[in-house]
Amino acid sequence: MTDGTAGTAATQAPEENPVLYVARPMATAARQFVKSLVRPSTIVYPYERLEDPRFRGEVAVASGKPIGVGAVWDNYRGVHALNIATCISCNLCAFSCPDLCIEMVTVPGGDPKHPKKCPQIDYGKCSYCGFCSDACPEGCLTMTTRYELSTPKRSEMVYSPQKLNEVFRSKLPMNPIRLERPENEDRILLDPPLCIGCNACARDCPTACITMLDVPKPEGKPGAKLPKRIWKEPVVNDSDCVRCGTCISVCPKECLFWGSRP
Amino acid sequence: MSEMWINMGPQHPMTHGLWNLRVQIDGELVRAVDPEMGYLHRGIEKISEDRHYNEVITLMDRCCYVAGMAWEHLYILGAEAALQVRPPERADYLRVLCDEFQRLGSHLMWYAAFVQDLGLMSPFLYGMRDRDLVLDLFQSFTGARMTYEYMRVGGVRNDLPPGFADRSRKVLDWLDDRFREYDALCLGSTIFRKRCDGLGVLKGPEAIAHGVTGPMLRAAGVKRDLRKDRPYSAYDRVDFDVALADSADVTGRYLVRMEEMRQSVRILRQVLDWLDHHPGPVVADRLPRWLGAPYAPVGAEGYLLKRNYPKGLGLSAIEEPHGEALSYVVNDGGEHPYRVKFRSPVFANLSAASTYLVGYHVADIPPIMGSVDVCVGEVDR
Repeated sequence: MTDGTAGTAATQAPEENPVLYVARPMATAARQFVKSLVRPSTIVYPYERLEDPRFRGEVAVASGKPIGVGAVWDNYRGVHALNIATCISCNLCAFSCPDLCIEMVTVPGGDPKHPKKCPQIDYGKCSYCGFCSDACPEGCLTMTTRYELSTPKRSEMVYSPQKLNEVFRSKLPMNPIRLERPENEDRILLDPPLCIGCNACARDCPTACITMLDVPKPEGKPGAKLPKRIWKEPVVNDSDCVRCGTCISVCPKECLFWGSRP
Repeated sequence: MSEMWINMGPQHPMTHGLWNLRVQIDGELVRAVDPEMGYLHRGIEKISEDRHYNEVITLMDRCCYVAGMAWEHLYILGAEAALQVRPPERADYLRVLCDEFQRLGSHLMWYAAFVQDLGLMSPFLYGMRDRDLVLDLFQSFTGARMTYEYMRVGGVRNDLPPGFADRSRKVLDWLDDRFREYDALCLGSTIFRKRCDGLGVLKGPEAIAHGVTGPMLRAAGVKRDLRKDRPYSAYDRVDFDVALADSADVTGRYLVRMEEMRQSVRILRQVLDWLDHHPGPVVADRLPRWLGAPYAPVGAEGYLLKRNYPKGLGLSAIEEPHGEALSYVVNDGGEHPYRVKFRSPVFANLSAASTYLVGYHVADIPPIMGSVDVCVGEVDR
């Protein structure tokens, strides 16, 4: 059958001894049955767990013979773990969520002008796609191997930042995958004629990578009407910028945008 | 003799999903059939218009629940054509790897369900057991067993973990032995052959007229495989044969799927060898920021509209485990696709039911419909 023509097999049913045609498939089944007495083909779930350390190297036991599909558990996408201490309130997890199950709620630790906001996740809606942990620029929102979530109350499906922080502190294995930022990533650019120097972008930037620098007043004819504005413009430090886009969304004049110009 | 209509479905062991097969019977003979689909419609095409390009992938895994990776690949190819993004070569090979493992998983699932339709319990357990190995491999690099969310516009999410190639080679060796066992259990069994030979005959010209594709068409002797005819990703760089049978009946479809699994193992060995020797990036290095690589797009609604982003149409067709699927993505320069449309192969295969069911007995319907390999999730979307 190496030439790919599967139809070369006999198209007529083979005529043979009726005892044989019952006995032969049963012999195959009996062989499997004997093997399964040595070791069941499945993981005996409540007593054994796939994430147990002893399965790390040799998982997926098929008919008594471990064939070594190890490490299936390492990249598992389960309940999230949040490190509140390193969260910068950039909102990227909430923006990237396709199910809109992440809400940014205020946690203690920020100053009254700029409250610290961390994700609160509703596991009744979450589909465990992992887009939020992919989006997290600081690596403080990761996914763990915890998966048993059943609870008698629906309200307990909503995990507050503090509860997610407890998951982080419980030292469960974390998903090790960290996405690398592309080298030529788009950056924040400014449309200078539209800017009014209002400082909104620099005020709300979670990494404080925007500084307002003075720009010279244009020298027109004496008495000519200058636009009413503050003579400052934002300058973005690209190496600190996490590309969260908060500045774009708070800009009242829509003068900031994504671009690739050097 | 009096004729009557009976409903096989929407809740019936024969249907494998939510759909209804209305059958007009005259005694034991099938006189006419009327397949009814639409019980599982979730509006996936419409929801896609309200999502960013990468977020649509979460829907693709739910679109076809036995071949999620193939549908992710289908959508991603369409979206990349619409957005004019080229993935790196390693991502191409990784996608072929995903596709072929998914084909193995899907065909093993089909094998398990099909033999259970015939009343054979032991092969069902073997099929499900061996499919689990494929799911274990998927879990080891995507993090989930069914909903993978692995592909991204411009590449894939992450590279393979260390040791993956050795583990998958072990699984492939294991599966190679199992195919012989399946054949001994089914083709070697006279009971199986007497229930399947000469049933549900669908000849080539009729199949083409109804738009039937995939293993059902190849079982009729028509050499049509998009992996060969219109190669996508890295399929033009791997060596394999198109599985064919000439009997056009249930046994022919069994033979084609079994041969396809052997060819998948052959492709996977080549792909794993290539991946061993060619490290490199798995995501295109230059992506528009709003595509969310790796971050999702953000910003005030509408800020993108005043900038000029490339517009385009994307059309892609792949050989999915069930047949030829097609996607059409319209990019009008915004954050979301303007329109997403899919062609489901199973919808066409089911719509032709009257050509291969009429004239057989009622007891023949489960094996014939089992050989079609129905996945209602993609039929209704």
